Amino acid sequence: MARAGTNLRTSYLESNEVLRRPYQKVLVGLILVAAVLLPGGSSDYFLHLINLCLLACIGALGLMMLTGFCGQISLGHAAFLAIGAFTTVILTVHLKLPFIVVVPAAAVTGAMIGFLVGLPSLRFRGVYLAISTLAMHYAIIFVATTYQAKFSASASAGITIPDPTIGPLKISGAPTWYYFLLVLLTFITIGCVNLVRTRPGRAWMAIRDRDIAAEALGINLTRYKLLAFMLSATLASVSGSLMAYYSNVVTVEAYTLDLAVIYVAMIIVGGMGSILGGLMGAFFITLLPYGIEHLFEFLPRAWRFGSTVFGVQVGAVGVCIILFLLLEPKGLAEIWRRTETYFDRWPFRYRPLDTTRR
Amino acid sequence: MEFVATVVILTCTYALLAAGIVILYKAGRVVNFAHGEIAIVGGYVFYSSGMMFSGGEMSPWLAVLGAIVFSVIMGAFIYATMMRRVVGEPFYVAILVTVGIAIVLKSAIIVIWRAQHLTIDVGIAPAIRLAGGATLSYMDVASVALTIAFFIALYLFFTFTRLGVQFRGTAENPLLASQRGVNVNLVLSLAWIIAVLAATLSGVLYGGRAFLSTESVTIGLAGLTAALVGGLDSLRGAVIGAFVVALAQYLTVRLIDPVLSEALPFLILLVVMSIRPWGLFGTVEELDRV
Amino acid sequence: MQKKFVFRGLAAATIAACLAGFSPAQAQDAYKIGYITDLSGPLASSYTPTWEGFELYIKALNDRGGIGGKKVDVVLDDDGLKADRAVAAAKKQTERDNVLGIFGLSLSSTQGPVYAEMRKIGVPVITTFSGILDALPPAQPFSYSTGVVFEVAGDAIGELIQNIKKGGKVVGMTIDSVGGRAALAHNKKLVLAAGGQWDEVIFPVATSDFTPFAQAANEKKPDIVVGHYGSGQNLGVIPALRRSGYTGPYVVASYGVTEDTIRAAAQRAGSGDNIFYVSRYSSAFDKNPSVAEVAAAQKKYGTSKPFSSMHVTGWALGKFAEEALKKCGWPCTRDKLDKIVQTLKVDMGGLTGGPIEMVAGDGYGPTYWRLYAWNAKSNEMEPKSGWVKREAKGYK
Repeated sequence: MARAGTNLRTSYLESNEVLRRPYQKVLVGLILVAAVLLPGGSSDYFLHLINLCLLACIGALGLMMLTGFCGQISLGHAAFLAIGAFTTVILTVHLKLPFIVVVPAAAVTGAMIGFLVGLPSLRFRGVYLAISTLAMHYAIIFVATTYQAKFSASASAGITIPDPTIGPLKISGAPTWYYFLLVLLTFITIGCVNLVRTRPGRAWMAIRDRDIAAEALGINLTRYKLLAFMLSATLASVSGSLMAYYSNVVTVEAYTLDLAVIYVAMIIVGGMGSILGGLMGAFFITLLPYGIEHLFEFLPRAWRFGSTVFGVQVGAVGVCIILFLLLEPKGLAEIWRRTETYFDRWPFRYRPLDTTRR
Repeated sequence: MEFVATVVILTCTYALLAAGIVILYKAGRVVNFAHGEIAIVGGYVFYSSGMMFSGGEMSPWLAVLGAIVFSVIMGAFIYATMMRRVVGEPFYVAILVTVGIAIVLKSAIIVIWRAQHLTIDVGIAPAIRLAGGATLSYMDVASVALTIAFFIALYLFFTFTRLGVQFRGTAENPLLASQRGVNVNLVLSLAWIIAVLAATLSGVLYGGRAFLSTESVTIGLAGLTAALVGGLDSLRGAVIGAFVVALAQYLTVRLIDPVLSEALPFLILLVVMSIRPWGLFGTVEELDRV
Repeated sequence: MQKKFVFRGLAAATIAACLAGFSPAQAQDAYKIGYITDLSGPLASSYTPTWEGFELYIKALNDRGGIGGKKVDVVLDDDGLKADRAVAAAKKQTERDNVLGIFGLSLSSTQGPVYAEMRKIGVPVITTFSGILDALPPAQPFSYSTGVVFEVAGDAIGELIQNIKKGGKVVGMTIDSVGGRAALAHNKKLVLAAGGQWDEVIFPVATSDFTPFAQAANEKKPDIVVGHYGSGQNLGVIPALRRSGYTGPYVVASYGVTEDTIRAAAQRAGSGDNIFYVSRYSSAFDKNPSVAEVAAAQKKYGTSKPFSSMHVTGWALGKFAEEALKKCGWPCTRDKLDKIVQTLKVDMGGLTGGPIEMVAGDGYGPTYWRLYAWNAKSNEMEPKSGWVKREAKGYK
C-alpha cells in the first residue's frame, strides 16, 4: 500500500527524494497550476501583495540558508537588500546598463559583500556574530545614505529606477511581474532544495548542529561558512535589486534594522531549517500587516486610525516571534508536517517516529 | 567644562544600560536586545504615573513609585513567562525572544502613548551656570548622583548581602548553585528586575535631557556597545565602556562629522571585536561558551 | 498538549482571518477620494493635524449638503511613513475603493513611489507636504502639490531671515536626509547672495540627544540659527541650544511644526524669546476671517490635536479639493479631474498670501511665505513680515 510505503524506504536513493509521498506530487502540481491561473481571477492590489510576498520569499530563502541551515545568525539582511538596491541604482542611473546585466551584477556584488560580512564568522560564534553583522548593517547603511545624499540627482525623492526590459519584453504591471517572479522563485527554490540535500547543505547542517564535531569530520568550516554568507547575501541582493525595479524607487530609509528583524521573523515563523518554512514564513509575515488592517475594518472607525492599527501591526510581528519560538520552535513547516502526517496515518493516531519533538 | 559635563551625563545613561546588559549576561548568558526599548518604555511609565493623579503637574514620588512597580512586574514577567523557558534551547532562541520583546515594547509605545514625543520635566530649571553661558539643570546633577548611588548600591549588594553572594554563585555555576539550595528562579528574576530598574532609570535620565520617542530606543544599541567594549561579563567594564562610547560620540560630533555619530558605536565595536573580542575587562574563555 | 492546541487554533484563526480580510468593496453615490498619510510613524505629530484640518473641511462641506447634493467620501489610509505601505494603500484605494484622486501623503520618501505608481494608472495625486520636485515645472503628469517643497522653503527662509538681521552669520541645522540637505543648500545660496556668512550642522536621523550638536552650532558663533526639520527635532534642539548658551534668533522652518510644539519647546528652554517661524500657510493665531472659519469648525467638530497652522494647511487642501470636484461635476472621472486640476486656480482668502494657481506644466504654482515671531508673554504667534511670493520655476 502507498501508505505503508511512506516511511518504509528500501534504498538510499529513496531517502533522497524530495517529494516522498505520492500525493505530494499532485499537491505541488496543483499549487503550480493554481499559481499560474491566479492573475486571471484577482485584482491588481491582491497581485501586488503576492508580488511583495514572492520578493520576500527570495530574501527569506537567503536568510534561511544562512541561519536555518548553517546556524549563523545574521541581523544584516536589510543591508544585503540595500546592497542589491544600490547596485541597481548605480548601474542603471549612472551607467545605463540593461536589466539583464544589472541583476546578475547585483548578485555578484552581494556575494562579495557577503564574503566580507562573513569573515567575522570565522572568529566569532553566536551572539558575537549577531552583533558583528549588526555593526556591518550600520556601516553599509551609512555608506548608502552618504551616496544617496551626495551623489543622487533627484533631490528629496529617492532615486527613480525605470521599468526593466528584457529584449523586447517590458516588465511592468502586476501580472507580468507576477509571472516573472514566479518563474524566478521556482528556479531559486529548486536550486535551494537541491543545495541542502547535497554536500554543501549537509556540511551546513553539521556546522549548525556542532561546529567542532563538523570540523572533526573533515568539513572545511571557513569555506562552508563563507559560502553560506555569500549565498545568503546573493539572494538578498537579487531580491533587493528586483524590489528596486518593482517599486521604481530606491531610498535608503527603507532599509532599517526593523526590516532585518522582519526577515528573521519570517524564518522563525516559517520554521528554522526548512525551505518550505522559509516560503510560508515570508508569505505569513508579509501578509500579516495587511490582514490586520483588514480585520480592523470591521471595528468602529475610531479604533481604525490614530496609531492603533500600525502599533498592532508592528507588535504582531514581535508576538509571532515570541510565540513561535516558545511554543512552536519549528514553525509553520512543522504544523504543516503534523497535519500531513495526521491525514497520512488516518484513521490511526500513531505518532510516527520522525515527528517526535525534542 | 561644558564638554566634561556632556560626556559625564551621557556616560551615566550608557553605563546604566550597559550594567543591566552585563547583569543579564552574567545571570543567564542572555544578551538582551530589548534593553533600549525597556529603557524608553520605563521613561514613558515614569512620566505617565507621575502625571496620573496630578493633572498637569508632575508628581515625582508617584513617578518613582510607578517606575519601581513597572520594573518589578516587567522584570519578573519577562523572566517567568519567557526567559525561564529558553534555558537549554539553542543560543539564538534567547536572543530572538528579546528581539521579539523589543518589537512588542515598541508597539506598546505606539499604541499606548501614541508615539508621542515626551520630555520628562523634573527639575529642568537651570541650576549651574558654566563658563561660556552654558547651563546645567538639577536633573543633570541628579542623574550623575543617582547613577553613582546605583553603582555603589549594586556593589554593596553583590558583596555583602546573602542574596548578592547567591547571585554570584548562580552566575558562576547555576546547576551547582541550585543543588546547594540557592533558589535560582528567585535569583534570576531578581537579575531581570535589577536590569529593568537600571534601564528605566537610564530612560528617565535620557527623557530629562533629550526626549522619549520610538526613535530614541537606539540608545539600547549604544548601551550594548558599551557593554561589549567593556566586556560582557564585567560590571566595571560597563562603566569604562560607556565612557569610551560617550567620549567617542562626542568627539566625532565636534571634531569629525556629526553625521558619523550614529554609525560610530558600531565602528568602535568592529574595532574592539577584531582586536579584543572579549572586551577590555571581560574574561577570555567566556567567548567560547557563547 | 492543551496549550499547543490553543496555540495551533490561534495560528489557524489568524491565517483564516487574514485571508477572509480581502473582500471587495461596494460602489457608493458620492465623490470618493483617497487620503494617505502618516498617522502613526515618526512624523505622525505633524501629519495628523493636517489630516484633521482636511477632515474638518470635508465634514463641514458634507454638512452644507456636499457638492451639488453629492457627499464627499474620503477613504483614509495610514502609511506609517513607509513607502511600500503607501504604495499598497494607493493601489488599494484606486482598485477596491475606486477613488478619483489621492490627497495628502507624508514625507518625500513616500511621495515619490506613489506619484510614480499612480502616474502609470492615471490617477491625480495632490500632496500637501514637503512635496518633491515632481510637481514643479516642467511638471510630471498627474503630480500636484499644495504643500511645502524643501527647495522652495529653503529659498523663502533665506529671503525672510533678512528681516531679522541683514548679513551676519547664519548656521543651518538639519537631519541627514536628502530633503534637509536640499533645503540647506537653497537657504545657503540666498544667505550668501545677501552678503551673509554660512555654516551648517547636520546630524543623524535617529538623534534624540541634541546637546553635542547644539554645542557645535553655538561654537560657530552664529547670528541666526535656522532649523530645517520637523517637530521632534525642534523640541530637542531649542532647549539644547539655549542650554549651550546661545540666546540669539532661532528660526523654525515649518515642515509640519505646530505652534504647540514651539510653545512646549520654549517652555522647556526656559524662554520663548527670539524664536521665529517661517510658514507657507497662516498661523492658527492669525486674526482673519478665513482662519476664524477653520477655528470655528475645529470648535464644532473637535480635533485630537491642539489647533495649529497644520490644521490650516489641511483645510486649504480641502478647499482645493472641493473646487476641483465642483468643476469636475457629476459624474467625475479621474481623467476629467486631472484636466481640471491642471489649470485650477483657487482663492485661499486669508489662509495664505495668495491663490493656489496651477497652470499647464506646473503642478505647484507660486507660493507665499511669511515670517512669524513667537511672543513669549502671550504665548502666541505674531506676523513679522508681509507675504513673500516665490515662483515655482527654475528648480529643476
